[in-house]
Amino acid sequence: MEHLLEILNPHFLLRNALYAGLIVGLVCPQVGIFFVLRRMILLGIALPQVSNAGIAFAFLLHTLGWHFFYHTESEKVMALTGSILFTIITIFILAILERKRKGFTENRIGFTYVIAGAASILFVSWNPYGQTEVLSMLKGEIVSIPDVYLWLMVAIYGAIFIFLTGFHRNFILVSYDIDMAVTIGKKVIIWDMLLYTIIGIIISLGVMTVGPLVIFGFLLIPAITARIITRGILPFCIVSSGIGVAASFIGFYVSYHFDLPTGPTDVALLSVILVLSYLAKILFSLKRPGKDKIKFKENTS
Amino acid sequence: MDHCITLKDVAIGYNGHSILTDISFCLKVGEFTVLFGPNGCGKTTLFKTILRIIPPIRGTIVYGEGYYPRFGYVPQRQMLDEIYPFTAEEVVLMGTFGQAKPFCFTTNTNRVWVEQCLQDVGMLELKKELFSELSGGQKQRILIARALATKPEILVLDEPITGVDILAQKMIMELITLLHRKHKLTFIMVTHEIHSIPKWIDKIIWINDNKVLIGNSIELLSPLITDEISFQGTLWH
Repeated sequence: MEHLLEILNPHFLLRNALYAGLIVGLVCPQVGIFFVLRRMILLGIALPQVSNAGIAFAFLLHTLGWHFFYHTESEKVMALTGSILFTIITIFILAILERKRKGFTENRIGFTYVIAGAASILFVSWNPYGQTEVLSMLKGEIVSIPDVYLWLMVAIYGAIFIFLTGFHRNFILVSYDIDMAVTIGKKVIIWDMLLYTIIGIIISLGVMTVGPLVIFGFLLIPAITARIITRGILPFCIVSSGIGVAASFIGFYVSYHFDLPTGPTDVALLSVILVLSYLAKILFSLKRPGKDKIKFKENTS
Repeated sequence: MDHCITLKDVAIGYNGHSILTDISFCLKVGEFTVLFGPNGCGKTTLFKTILRIIPPIRGTIVYGEGYYPRFGYVPQRQMLDEIYPFTAEEVVLMGTFGQAKPFCFTTNTNRVWVEQCLQDVGMLELKKELFSELSGGQKQRILIARALATKPEILVLDEPITGVDILAQKMIMELITLLHRKHKLTFIMVTHEIHSIPKWIDKIIWINDNKVLIGNSIELLSPLITDEISFQGTLWH
């Protein structure tokens, strides 16, 4: 209880980490539902790795004297730019190949993951200075988020959350039934491009602030869990974010109380919630007649 | 009757490669047209070209009043991924997305309209059930309700009875007949199953062997031709 009150204190030393976690918990599942529904989960593994490669490449350029931004902390701005560029370019290339149906999706994503992983290591190893800093950024340090990053997250993630909520119907329709979307006049390519850009930004910024593991965990596990326990798309979206926020808060409390690393604690907690939800669903479905009832109604309607 | 859709020397296909060429016909307002042919003959491609999902390779498609009409689209239900946790009601609500404003909740008017559409297809009772848990025939009726929810001028159905049992096929065809009579809409139905074509329809567009044959049910569904089609039909399956 003492720790809980300490965490809730507005002057709490690690408040930025708590707030960043809650923002990630709220917003990432809203993007993650499209990973799950569009069956792009593997992309959720590959893109953070690509983002890492972008960060490592930007640091390498910076160390070699290629300064695009002339102010203090310019290397971090370059890293963010590299991360966003690498991620968005990759997701667009993958999307184009997907539409043209060139080869198998799994092959493309697997290749992307491997090459991005190798590139990250090579960029870091070629970097004569600052390996420690680069590696620390690649891991993501949720507990040491500076104010400027937190505000950046609030602004960007907040705008994305509002945008996704406001245009929820369009994103869902173009994901579910492209042909119908075209027949009622939706510009499918524009909505797809917007979604891919959002995914790119969420992952790039997330990897730099909280790390790839946490981003991947919050993108996918809440949506997978909510898919198991909800009926209807609206409850699915709300419960996804609910799980994300709850796991983020409880995970932070547990990690603070037991002196554990926050990111892995959050992901472990999300996994526990997923397993418990799955077991609860099995128990519930054993008690519910389910499909028989529907078939019976068909015969009587 | 006014012309609703007119095709003039249209060639259809993908990536510049033609499947069918020199297609010319017109559909009139209120007509019930069946696009009939074996699997892979190009009827879905023609249908998607009319809906502007695929651009024509050559030729022109003119829509009646000079503007693109509002289509109610019933896809093949197998094309829809069951991973989406939609309820039946949510699927039908999609029909209203064309008019829905962003940042707004679903209006009461739309909810009432969706219930009316569900009522029309006899599925109101199951509106809270998951779409993925419904039977093939029930899903088809929900997709018809979704198409009605768009308040269409033209209702297009892609293989509506494929993959459902005989009883459900009969119920779906009765429903389609009823809706045609009740709403006086222009209907286009794609099918490869000759037994599903009602006798009373206005026009049949029969695609086979890269040729397009157009006529009414008396001309094309005469016993002689029906036998021929049925015979070929057994080969097509």
